[in-house]
Amino acid sequence: MIELKGVWKQYGDRVALHPLNLVVRPGETVALVGPNGAGKSTVLRILAGTVHASGGAATAGHHRAYLPQRLGVPDSTLVADLAELVAAARSLPLDLMHQALIATGLAERARARLSELSGGQRQRVMLALATAGEVGGGALLLDEPSISLDVEGAEDVREAIEGARRRGAAVLFASHHLHDVACLAQRIVLLVAGQVVAEGSLPELAAAAGVPWSAGITDPPIERVYRVLVGRSRAHSQMRVA
Amino acid sequence: MTKALLRFELAAARNGRTAPLFAAGFALASIAIALVGLAAGGTIAVQGFARTSISLLQLVLWVVPLLALLTGAAAGAECYELEYVAALPGTRSRLVISRWAAWLIALGAALLVGLGGAGIVIAIFAGTADAWTYLGLLVVAALLLSACLSVGLALGIWARSRARALALAIVAWCVLLVGIDLAAIGLLAILPAGTATWPLSLLLLLDPLDAARALGLGLFQATAIAGPTGAALRAVMGGWGALFLVVGLVAWTVVPLRLAARTLGRRDL
Repeated sequence: MIELKGVWKQYGDRVALHPLNLVVRPGETVALVGPNGAGKSTVLRILAGTVHASGGAATAGHHRAYLPQRLGVPDSTLVADLAELVAAARSLPLDLMHQALIATGLAERARARLSELSGGQRQRVMLALATAGEVGGGALLLDEPSISLDVEGAEDVREAIEGARRRGAAVLFASHHLHDVACLAQRIVLLVAGQVVAEGSLPELAAAAGVPWSAGITDPPIERVYRVLVGRSRAHSQMRVA
Repeated sequence: MTKALLRFELAAARNGRTAPLFAAGFALASIAIALVGLAAGGTIAVQGFARTSISLLQLVLWVVPLLALLTGAAAGAECYELEYVAALPGTRSRLVISRWAAWLIALGAALLVGLGGAGIVIAIFAGTADAWTYLGLLVVAALLLSACLSVGLALGIWARSRARALALAIVAWCVLLVGIDLAAIGLLAILPAGTATWPLSLLLLLDPLDAARALGLGLFQATAIAGPTGAALRAVMGGWGALFLVVGLVAWTVVPLRLAARTLGRRDL
């Protein structure tokens, strides 16, 4: 389970994230959306432990997997070495990592360097390693998981995320790809300037934004929902400043 | 976990060009020094281990700290980019130690290949007399490498950005190379005659490079050129001085490494 209780973050004088309360239960997928600088990555980084919160309590359990936007792993790294490292860190047998790679159809690339994989293959490998073994009760934290992927690559990533959710993982991901959000998220949290301005399922947000919505059509309406809500929030904050 | 992380870091260190270039450079420089050492006397021949070791010590004292500080600083600053690895359970302090160990192994192996290659040439052409001094030189170089890598890593983690880390590493190298010696000369000028030996000996603890120099020259019984701090140490501690220096160099490895791990653990990536 993922839980944030009054978590906030300040960089110098700038508040990047205002106190945030959020719970993601096992088997649930929640999406963080919002413009650049809204605080989406900060939330994920705090949960992953790479950034310290200025206050509040954040927990993503011991069995958490985090996929940042930029891996920061040298391109010369072998897939097999990375698999061994993740297995050791998560106390999993190496065989499980191999099985996860087989499931993605990339087992034969185990001796390949990351630089030899396409963007989609690389993301599939990272997701396979992150979701290998028992993920039930664990947390999956993903920052822009389908960034710079083609349609097939993005589809693979969506399948991997949905698969992890079905196996009981609590999934929290940030994305600018609203189609991914509409397809995957049971709940959407809209952040603007570090504050939650809307939260709920897609139909709830559509109703709040006054945008007609029908199940089955996910792509164009969600973008309208997003634009209306962000625009409204910005207009509101401008009014407050004025 | 530590083993897997070390393997991961070692693969990254191995895939770079630093270690092979260091090995080739050291081999060439060592052979050149062994060859030209007798040139002043009008002879071009390979000189023995003892003479070559003394000449090589100076090279070790200049090149090893510079390379180790720069490599360590770059590796330290890079820690902030390793978000994926740092987010794995319980890895932050292990990441620092593994980075240090991986570069120590990579550069240590390069040093061994470089000096070892030259050693084989010397053994073939000039015999194996005094080969132990050459081995001693390798040990001194390894201790210095370890200490400077640790200092470099701490500087890199403190600096955060690669450019700032490299600049700091160069400043640190200059300070270690001449700064402490200047301080020693200043002490000699200020303190009354005969009272400077203890403070000068302690100054050796403040400079791993000076400590390695005194340790290296001690191997060859070359006290006359051990510098003011080295001579003071011999006067104060006699034969125990070598142990004091080794402990000092080990402390220069352990303390900065602990500080680096603590700093990285407290900071945001």
